[in-house]
Amino acid sequence: MIVGNYLAAAVLFCLGLACVLGRRNLIKIVMGLSLMESSTYLLLVSLAYRNKATAPVLADRPGHTSERDLVHGNVADPVLQNFCITAVVIGVAVTAVFLTVVVRVAQHYRSTDADDIRELRG
Amino acid sequence: MTGRRPDRCRAPDAGHDRRGPRPDERWHRPWLVAVLAGATLAVLAVAAFGLPHGTGPLPQLARHAMRIALPRWGTTEAVSEVVYGSRGWDTFGETFLLLAAVVAVSLLARGREARSEYVGEASAGRTEQGEADPDEGVDSEESEAREAEHGEEETAQSAAEDADDDPLGEPGPERAVGMTVLVRVGARVAAPILTVAAVYLAAWGYTPGGGFPAGAALAGVAVLLYAALGHRAVRTVVRPSVLEPLELLGAAAIVALGVVGMIRRSAFGENWLPLAPQQTIRAGGTLQLFSAAELIEVATGLTIAIFALLGMRHDWTPDEDDDSASPALETHEGQS
Repeated sequence: MIVGNYLAAAVLFCLGLACVLGRRNLIKIVMGLSLMESSTYLLLVSLAYRNKATAPVLADRPGHTSERDLVHGNVADPVLQNFCITAVVIGVAVTAVFLTVVVRVAQHYRSTDADDIRELRG
Repeated sequence: MTGRRPDRCRAPDAGHDRRGPRPDERWHRPWLVAVLAGATLAVLAVAAFGLPHGTGPLPQLARHAMRIALPRWGTTEAVSEVVYGSRGWDTFGETFLLLAAVVAVSLLARGREARSEYVGEASAGRTEQGEADPDEGVDSEESEAREAEHGEEETAQSAAEDADDDPLGEPGPERAVGMTVLVRVGARVAAPILTVAAVYLAAWGYTPGGGFPAGAALAGVAVLLYAALGHRAVRTVVRPSVLEPLELLGAAAIVALGVVGMIRRSAFGENWLPLAPQQTIRAGGTLQLFSAAELIEVATGLTIAIFALLGMRHDWTPDEDDDSASPALETHEGQS
């Protein structure tokens, strides 16, 4: 039932989207973006899933599988798992930059409300 | 100020006329949000049923990675092979994206004055700032302020240099920058275990290649020690003059590994070390070195980003332009 994972990722993404669209607090907007990023991690790891497969590890194989079985596709997709690691690191980096900007905005405008940040308007 | 939410973070004097009171609403245009998020969810849900349900064949690239993991890289961990081998170029780019983000955070978080530490200099500077200028006469306002400050000093300024020097069982809260003795002991027990676990993950794990999670765990140890013991416990290591060169050293090592591969072998990032037996500490050739460099890069990068953010609120230089920049404020004061 890996479809459940896909749907959970879709729900997470939309929760993050709703947060970004509907909240005015800048920190909550960053949290919404973070939630959207996490939904992609769930999607990538779920896409790597294969029915009745093992982890893409060539050592300590479960009893009856041979190395040849693993190489011929009876494993979870290592490339998508790699994508997930990459996405996590990029997500952290982006969130750190966003939060720094939010702190500076809060110091400058004395507000974390997106409605008060009007100098770029027009 | 009527109609504003009390929890809104705003200084009382900063309310300019352009920021009128607004209705107390939790969501901005909730109907639009509901429509947009709902439509996106519907599209994604339809798409989810079209995705492979765990039955599709393994893609060519994944099969290739599984095939070459042992013969070419000597690692039994296909994900490590993909991270540092087949898609090593991608990891290379990602590393420098992280570095760019850390540079951006450092730049944005930079205070007005050069500092040797991320946090804690505010308390050191407070004493210096509190000293009176001998050339300047003392007016009634200043002497009143100094008296009030002196009254506060007994509680605020006498925090022990080391959190452990704070006597236990005293009435009133502990004055040290660290947390209570229970948290301090817990952190002291957890920190070495976490450090060893992180280094083990990078050095052995299943096979080498855990540089990313290990780096994140090491950054976590630094934050744990800071939270439990205060900035004085981490000041020898967590300071720009230590972390920034280390971070760049990690980045330079990654570049050097790739360039040596290009010179000694056919391509950038190619393995140029002899392969050790699988599942040993030297298995994986340059993959292990790449992972170790990532460990340094991620650990220092995350620590710099976190502490730069933490240190941002400690900019103790007063804002000189505050009064001249906001005429609204002056009229406010004139009226009152």
